[in-house]
Amino acid sequence: MIKNRWPSLVWIVIVLVSLVVGAVGCAGTTTQTPEAAQPAGPTSPAAPATTQAEAPAAEQPTAEAPTQEAQPADKSSITIVIPEDPPSFNAIVGDTGYDALVMNLVLLGLTGVDPDGNIYPELAAELPSIENGAVVVDESAGTMDVTWKMRQDIKWADGKPVTADDVVFTWEAIMNPDTGIWVRGSDYVDSIEKVDDYTVTFHYSSIYPGYLTQLGGEQLVVWPAHYCDPEQGFVAWDCASNPLSDGPFIMKEWNVGDHLSFERNPTYFEAGKPGIDEIFVRIVPEETVRKQMMIQGEADVYMWATETVINDLVTAPNVKISTTPYGRWVMRLFPNEASKGSTDPQASQHPFLSDVRVRQAIRMAVDVDTIVNQIFLGYGKPIWTEFYRKPYICEVPRPVYQPDEAKKMLEEAGWKDTNGDGYRECSGCTTAKEGTPMKLSFYTYAEYGEPLQLTQQYIADNLKKIGIEAQLNTFEGSVMWADPDSGGIEQNGDFELDLWDDGYSSTDPTDFLWEIYAAEAATPGNGWNIVRWKNDEFNTLLGEAYTLDEAKRKEIFCQMAKILDEQAPVILMFSTVNADAYSNRLEGIQSNINDLVTWNAADWKIIP
Amino acid sequence: MGHYIARRLIQAVFLLFLLSMVMFALVNLAPGGPLAGHGQTRRVRPERVEMLKRQFGLDKPLPTQYLIWLVGNDWMNVDTNGDGVFEEHGTRKGVLRGDFGFSFRTRKPVLFEIWLRLPNTIYLMGVMLIVSLLIAIPVGILSAVKQYSGFDIAVTTFFFAGQAIPEFWLGLILILVFYVWLENPITGGPLLPAGGMYSIGSAYPIADRVAHLILPVTAGALGWIAWYSRFLRSNMLDVIHLDYMRTARAKGLPQRLVIFKHGLRNALIPLVTMLALDLPYVVTGAVIVETIFSWPGMGRLYYQSAMDRDYPMLMAILILSGALMIFSNLIADLIYGYLDPRIRYD
Repeated sequence: MIKNRWPSLVWIVIVLVSLVVGAVGCAGTTTQTPEAAQPAGPTSPAAPATTQAEAPAAEQPTAEAPTQEAQPADKSSITIVIPEDPPSFNAIVGDTGYDALVMNLVLLGLTGVDPDGNIYPELAAELPSIENGAVVVDESAGTMDVTWKMRQDIKWADGKPVTADDVVFTWEAIMNPDTGIWVRGSDYVDSIEKVDDYTVTFHYSSIYPGYLTQLGGEQLVVWPAHYCDPEQGFVAWDCASNPLSDGPFIMKEWNVGDHLSFERNPTYFEAGKPGIDEIFVRIVPEETVRKQMMIQGEADVYMWATETVINDLVTAPNVKISTTPYGRWVMRLFPNEASKGSTDPQASQHPFLSDVRVRQAIRMAVDVDTIVNQIFLGYGKPIWTEFYRKPYICEVPRPVYQPDEAKKMLEEAGWKDTNGDGYRECSGCTTAKEGTPMKLSFYTYAEYGEPLQLTQQYIADNLKKIGIEAQLNTFEGSVMWADPDSGGIEQNGDFELDLWDDGYSSTDPTDFLWEIYAAEAATPGNGWNIVRWKNDEFNTLLGEAYTLDEAKRKEIFCQMAKILDEQAPVILMFSTVNADAYSNRLEGIQSNINDLVTWNAADWKIIP
Repeated sequence: MGHYIARRLIQAVFLLFLLSMVMFALVNLAPGGPLAGHGQTRRVRPERVEMLKRQFGLDKPLPTQYLIWLVGNDWMNVDTNGDGVFEEHGTRKGVLRGDFGFSFRTRKPVLFEIWLRLPNTIYLMGVMLIVSLLIAIPVGILSAVKQYSGFDIAVTTFFFAGQAIPEFWLGLILILVFYVWLENPITGGPLLPAGGMYSIGSAYPIADRVAHLILPVTAGALGWIAWYSRFLRSNMLDVIHLDYMRTARAKGLPQRLVIFKHGLRNALIPLVTMLALDLPYVVTGAVIVETIFSWPGMGRLYYQSAMDRDYPMLMAILILSGALMIFSNLIADLIYGYLDPRIRYD
C-alpha cells in the first residue's frame, strides 16, 4: 500500500521544489519593478539619470561576477540598522529621526551642531557673529541682519557648485504657504537676499538668538535649486526621495522597506573623507533581530540604543556603545493646574495640583534614583532643571527624595486622611471643597514600552505612600499629542498628571521654553504650556532672553531656573540615555545629543 | 449565469460604496490624529498644525473630506495658502478616478507606495500558500485514510501545536536556532538569514532568495497547514463513509483509485472554496511575519499607517482588501457552482 504512494510523494517534492524555484525566479523580476518604477514615476527626469550614470559598473554584480569579485573585497562597507523606513530625506517634514539619519549622509546645511553643543560651519565659510561683522543688530528697531558667507569649494554630485541661489531657493520653498512648512524662527525672518553667488543675508524682524541653525542643525539642509522641482513643493518634492548629494555619500538605491545603499562621494569637499566606501541602511523592524545582527557582526551601527538594548549588547565582545553624558529627552511629570477637561486654571482650577506645595510634595515623593537604577538599568541621568545642558548650565540644588517631608507638606496644605482609607482628603485646603479626595488620573504613552509603564506604576506607588491615589492609563502618542480637534489629550487638558519625555535639539532653549512655559502658550491651540502655568516674572525674563548678549542670556536663564525650581510647573526627573551601538571594527562613531549618529559619518573609518 | 454575475457585481459596487463610507468615518473618528508628534518631536507647533491640516485637507468637515476623497476637488476652488481666499482648483481627482491621494507620511501617491510593497507580499504569501497546500493536502488525505493511526495522531498533534504557538514567538525561536545557533558549515556564517528578501550583491541570487524564504514561510505556513489539513481530513472522512465509495471498493477498484478519483475529488470542493476566501490574505500580507523577518510587505505598511494615522494610506489598503474580499467571495461561489453540478445559480 504505502509503496504505491511513493511515486506520488516524489512528484510532490519535485513540484514543490520547482514551484519554489519558479516563484523565486518570478519574484526576482517583480521586485525589480518598484526600482524600475521609481524613476519612471513622478520623478523629475534628470534625477535618476545622473545618479545612475555616476554609479560605477558594480551595479550589475551578476553580469561581471568573476572579474568584479575582487573589487568588493577592497571596498569598505558598513551596515546601519533602523526599524522603519525614513519617510524621505527631508528630516524637517517627516521628523522621525530616520530621515535625519540618511539626510546627514547626503546633504549639508549651513551649519551643524556637535555633541558638546558647539555649532560648526558646513556650507558656511564661517559662523556669522557680531564680532566678525556678519550680524548687524539695529537696537532701536529691534531687528537684525545675518549675512552668511559660503564655502566656494562645495559641489553637487552633478558638478554644479552649491551657491547662494540654493540657499534662497530652499528658504523660499520652506516659506511657501501652500507647499512649505513652519520652521523655528520663520516668523522672525522678513526676507532673504542674495548678495553675491556665495553670500546671502537673512533680514530678521526681531532679535533671534537661534539664527545659527536657521538653515542647519539637525533637520534643515540646503536643497539644490537646479534639481528640486519647486512646483512639487518643499514638503513633497521628489528630490527628497532621490536626492542630489553634496554631502559625504551619494544615494545609490532605495529599496523601500528593505534597505538604502550609499556610496562614497568622490567629490566631497573635505580632503581624504569619507573614510568608508559604502553604507547600507537596512530596515529591520524587530529589535531582537537588530540586536542579534549586531552580535553576529552583520550590522555595524545600531541607531538609538535604548537602555535595555545597551544592557544586552554591552556584553558582546564585538560591540561598543557610544553615549553622551546626558540625554536630550528628560522624563517629566506634567501636573495640570486646571481641572481635568478644562484649559483655564483661573476659571476652574485643579483641586490640588494648582497648589504649588502639592506639586513640590509630589516632587519630593518620587524616588528618581530607584527608577533610574532599577528600571532604566543605571543608564538614565537624574535631571532636575531645564538648564543642565551646555552651553547653559545653572546651579540648582537637587530635590531630595523625602516622602516624610512630602507628607508634612501635604498636611500643611490642608490635605489629611480624615476617613482612614489611606488616601488624603481636603481638610482645610484652599484649593478645593472640604472632603475632596486626593485622587488623580495618571497617564503615559504606549510607544516607549515597558520601562515607561514600570516607571508609571512605580511613581503611582510613590504617590500612594504619601496618600495620593493615582488611576493609571496608557494612550498612543497619536492620541496623547494630537491637535485639539482630533481629541488631543494634552491640548484639551483631558488629564491630571501625565508622564512623558521632552527636550530640544540644538543649543538654544529659548523657543522650547516659550513653547512649554510661556503664558501665551497656555491658550489652547497656541502652544504646549499644557500645565497652564502662568508666571509674570518668568514671562518678562523670557522676553528678555531674545537677545544676542550671551552673558546676559546665561544670567536670565539661571533666574528662570530658580523660578521653575520653586514653582515646579513641570517636574523633571531624569534624562533617558542617548546612545548608539557600533561594531568594534569601526572608529569615529560618536553619539550626538544634538543630532543623529551619522552627523560625522564622513569621519568614520574601519580600523585596519 | 451571466445575469447572476452581473447582479453580484452590482451588489459588490454598492457594498464597496457603503464600506468606504463606514471605513472613512471610522478611520477619521478614531481617537488621535496624524498631526501629533512622533519620533523626534512631541509637540507640533500650532502654526505647523494649521499648515498641515490645510495640506492634508483635514481643515474641512468630514462629509466634505469624504466627498473629496471620492470624487476629488479639481472641480472646486480651494484655499491652498490659508489666506481665506479660495483661489484655484484643487488637484485631487478622487478615488473614482483612481486617485487615492498621497500618504501623509511620505507625501507620495498612495498607490505608488502600495505598488512598491505589493509584489513582495504576493511573493511571500503566494509561496507560503503553495507550500501550505503541498503539505496540507497529502497530510490531510493520509490522516483521513489512516484515521487514528500513529501518523494521524502525530501530525495532528504537531500541526495543532504549530497553530497554537504564536507566530512572533515561533519566528524569534526560528531566528535564534537558524541564525544565531546554527552555522553554515561552508562559510562559517549563520545558517539562514535573519530576514529581508535577499542579500545585497549575493553571488547565488536564486539560492539566496530561497534561503531568505525558508524561515518566514515556515513561521507563517504552520497555521495554514494545520487549518487546511484538518479541514481536508474531516471532509475526506465524510466522503469515505459514503455509499458510492463503498460501491467503488465493492466493484474491485484499487484503494488508490478509490481514494483519489472518487474520494479526493469530492472532498476538495469545499477546500477550493476556502482557498478562494483566503486569497485576500495573499495580497494584504501578514503583519507579524513581515515584522519579525524584515519583509518589506503590505502588512507592515498597513500597521505603520495605522500607528501614524496615515488616513489616505489606511483607506486605500482597507478598500483594497474589502474589494478583494467581496471579489473572492464571488469567485468562491462561482467555482463551487462549477465544481459541484448540484449547485446552480440563476
